[in-house]
Amino acid sequence: MQEEKEFIQELLDPKTQNEAFQKLLHTYQRTLYHHIRNIVLNHDDTDDVLQNTFIKIFQNLKNFKGESKLFSWMYRIATNESLTFIKQKARKLKVSTEELNTKSIDNLVSDVYFEGDEIQLKLQKAIALLPTKQQLVFKMKYFEELKYEEIAAILDTSVGALKASYHHAVKKIEAYVTSN
Amino acid sequence: MKKFNLEKDPKITSGFKVPEQYFDNFSEKVMGQLPTDTKKVIPLYNQKNKLFIAVAAVLVFGLFLPVYNQLVQPSEELDTITLENHLSYQTNINQYDLISELDKEDLNKMSATIPLNDEIIEDHLTSNSDLERLLSE
Repeated sequence: MQEEKEFIQELLDPKTQNEAFQKLLHTYQRTLYHHIRNIVLNHDDTDDVLQNTFIKIFQNLKNFKGESKLFSWMYRIATNESLTFIKQKARKLKVSTEELNTKSIDNLVSDVYFEGDEIQLKLQKAIALLPTKQQLVFKMKYFEELKYEEIAAILDTSVGALKASYHHAVKKIEAYVTSN
Repeated sequence: MKKFNLEKDPKITSGFKVPEQYFDNFSEKVMGQLPTDTKKVIPLYNQKNKLFIAVAAVLVFGLFLPVYNQLVQPSEELDTITLENHLSYQTNINQYDLISELDKEDLNKMSATIPLNDEIIEDHLTSNSDLERLLSE
């Protein structure tokens, strides 16, 4: 925790800011990439959102109060940026977010950066049918293997509610994959 | 059909692939887009506007003050109901004190003419049981 405080000070100090931010980028770029990719599904969109996320992190560092961990705070920004991106894209294409999600799943078949087999594609289709909150919880728990406490800090909710969401998501996915 | 079980069946990965060398230049790409630390310039006209608004507010307040005082000035005249209530509940004046204050003009205003003729008086006297007593007296 003390190390994190010192690191935040380095990020805020104009003399050490650039070097510290590069360190932050190298540490978190891959994990945040996969977190965003799991939400927006497409690599090019992920690239845009990831860049925006880091720019937003940089711009808002002075407002970071240290009430949560830097990691949770950055994940929260990445999540919000991804969800906002999906809403804006759906509005631009004049479709609902659900329709956009279904279309993105269909596009995965021809996506060169998706090497999923039949079961992986089926799993993605099953996830797309879940409510947004359950989708997020499932992806963060199952694919990203985050702890419930970490997800709770990112999504600002209780561990109990998350466990219930994950349980419901698993049951629906199992039912979909079994019957399709 | 075999029931699919997420927890027991082998783990399924997301299947997403990252383009090769994507992260090699990602940090440079972001660093190049970061906003530079420039001091925020506050245009002078904004300050002028603020000053103008403040002066206008003081003037409006100053001009409105006499009008406001005029509007909220309490009335010096008492209305009848308030006076009656005060006399009835708040003072020691009784009905005799009030009667003593009445002059001839007040009595004339209160006098009422009752139309009586001889027949009515006769009827009243014949039906009155105390007539004999009154006559004997």
